[in-house]
Amino acid sequence: MAANPPANSPPPKPWENAGGTSGPAPFKPPSPGSTSDVVEASGTARPGEIVSNTTTSVVNRNTVGRPMPARPWEQSYGTTGYGTSSYGGLNNGLSYNSGYGGYGSTLGTVGMYGGGGMYGGGMYGSSMYNRGGYGGGLYGSSGMYGGGMYGSGGLGGPMGGYEMGGMGGPYGAQDPNNPYGPPSGPPGFWMSFLRVMEGVVNFFGRISILIDQNTQAVHLFMSALLQLFDRSGMLYGELARFVLRLLGFRTKPRKVQQSHGPPGALPLPGPENGHGSQYSIEQSKAAPAGGWDNVWEK
Amino acid sequence: MPVFKTPFNGYAVKFSPFYESRIAVATAQNFGILGNGRLHVLDFSTPAVTEIAAFDTADGVYDAAWSESHDSLLVAAVADGSVKLYDLALPPPQNPIRSLHEHSREVHGVDYNTIRRDSFVTASWDDSLKLWTLDRPTSVRTFKEHAYCVYAAAWNPRHADVFASASGDCTVRIWDVREPNSTMILPAHEYEVLSCDWNKYDDCVLATCSVDKSVKVWDVRSFRVPITVLNGHGYAVRKVRFSPHMRNLMVSCSYDMTVCMWDFGVEDALVARYDHHTEFAVGVDMSVLVEGLMASTGWDEMVYVWQHGTDPRAP
Repeated sequence: MAANPPANSPPPKPWENAGGTSGPAPFKPPSPGSTSDVVEASGTARPGEIVSNTTTSVVNRNTVGRPMPARPWEQSYGTTGYGTSSYGGLNNGLSYNSGYGGYGSTLGTVGMYGGGGMYGGGMYGSSMYNRGGYGGGLYGSSGMYGGGMYGSGGLGGPMGGYEMGGMGGPYGAQDPNNPYGPPSGPPGFWMSFLRVMEGVVNFFGRISILIDQNTQAVHLFMSALLQLFDRSGMLYGELARFVLRLLGFRTKPRKVQQSHGPPGALPLPGPENGHGSQYSIEQSKAAPAGGWDNVWEK
Repeated sequence: MPVFKTPFNGYAVKFSPFYESRIAVATAQNFGILGNGRLHVLDFSTPAVTEIAAFDTADGVYDAAWSESHDSLLVAAVADGSVKLYDLALPPPQNPIRSLHEHSREVHGVDYNTIRRDSFVTASWDDSLKLWTLDRPTSVRTFKEHAYCVYAAAWNPRHADVFASASGDCTVRIWDVREPNSTMILPAHEYEVLSCDWNKYDDCVLATCSVDKSVKVWDVRSFRVPITVLNGHGYAVRKVRFSPHMRNLMVSCSYDMTVCMWDFGVEDALVARYDHHTEFAVGVDMSVLVEGLMASTGWDEMVYVWQHGTDPRAP
């Protein structure tokens, strides 16, 4: 800090000359000296201590009286009540009647939308209703972590790829202990992938923190949205297909829907002939859809 | 009244303790979810707000605090878990003069010790707080008791060793830097506590605000029941600050896009409501040098500075 201007002091605070307090304060009298000296003299100094996020609650003085949810970015997949079991069961895409969770899960099932699954299923559901289900919908139903991605990276959480590299994974030919060796090459696919996934976790973590602080706002928004679609007779799954269709994806019909269809009215289309979505489109028109009738028509 | 538009979404605003027309504004791109950040230093001594400096960061800046010992130093709490020190006296390429990487998650709050003036404390989503001094390259010690993200910290204005922290575990904890554990735990709200601040004229009085839309005022000597509960915000209350000039006056900002001024000593506590922001109002401060001067910022990318009682949008 050599380049700093000489130490100076701001103008006195307005409260410095004011009278004392409303009574004796329950604090120990101040100690003389600088902060570093005071802390070191007290024996509590731990310079540069790195906090491992998974072991922070060394002294658990949780006075809340209820278990705190896992942080959005540290999921314990399926091992706790927050895991995939609570929402993962909705992944079949048929859970229209299971409320908000079903909506998100349906989107998430398609696999293309990590964010979609997270939005409806985990975050909304969890934060609105006693914050229980961060894990389930958030990452579980999106299926992005399902393949043991983090299992292999478990050596060091999100940075697991680095340790793996040193052990001869992507950098197999190099000696990690040779300081004179060739410079390391560009990160391999898995390392890049892990970094991207770390970014994804960060992203969802921040989203869910925000949603958590905005539960009422999200509730209003989602209520309005659901009311709108309920009123027009659209089911959540159809909404998902509608979105996917806008994005250029064609979805396959489901057997359940076939049983609901007019008996013998339509031939069973193959998934490759492009009529699959057409079929479900015509099904959806059967709903009392009012002004939405023409939405599905090309 | 001075108005400034930032390129990113505002997160915090702080008046300089040295210059009455200088503020620091912490901003983050894409609502702080993903992207870069920028720390602005603005001067509004002339009718047109001038930008003295702007420092870019690779991740959002969630909070900032002015040094109480050097008029050109300020600290930024960055979403990548780092704490950065900037010196306005140096050219931008030489900044930040220090980047401290110890928190493992986003740093969401920072507060500078106004009595000793040599230290500051940071609050992070890794559930911990860290105490830093300017003469050490690493943190002096770490405070880890909270069971969820810590959103804010505030030094007691009369006790150099005491500060409070507000956390998503619904508690506020009071710490003495000489003690190994927290000295007091206030189960302050039913929902996440987002901010806290000490009364400047009574060192035992603390204000907290929460997702439950309320602001509560506490006496730490009898913290079972709050002194008062201030209801009036429509959504979660994001930040609360006591007036540096009036004992009973405080200001809060909320996701309901308003900034409210309260007098917790009277029954009809809501003194004023400012609805000048068009998005979440997440940063508010009161000048320690000019009585009644306030500043706020929000996700509408606007920074307002105005005198209490006037319209922030008035030209």
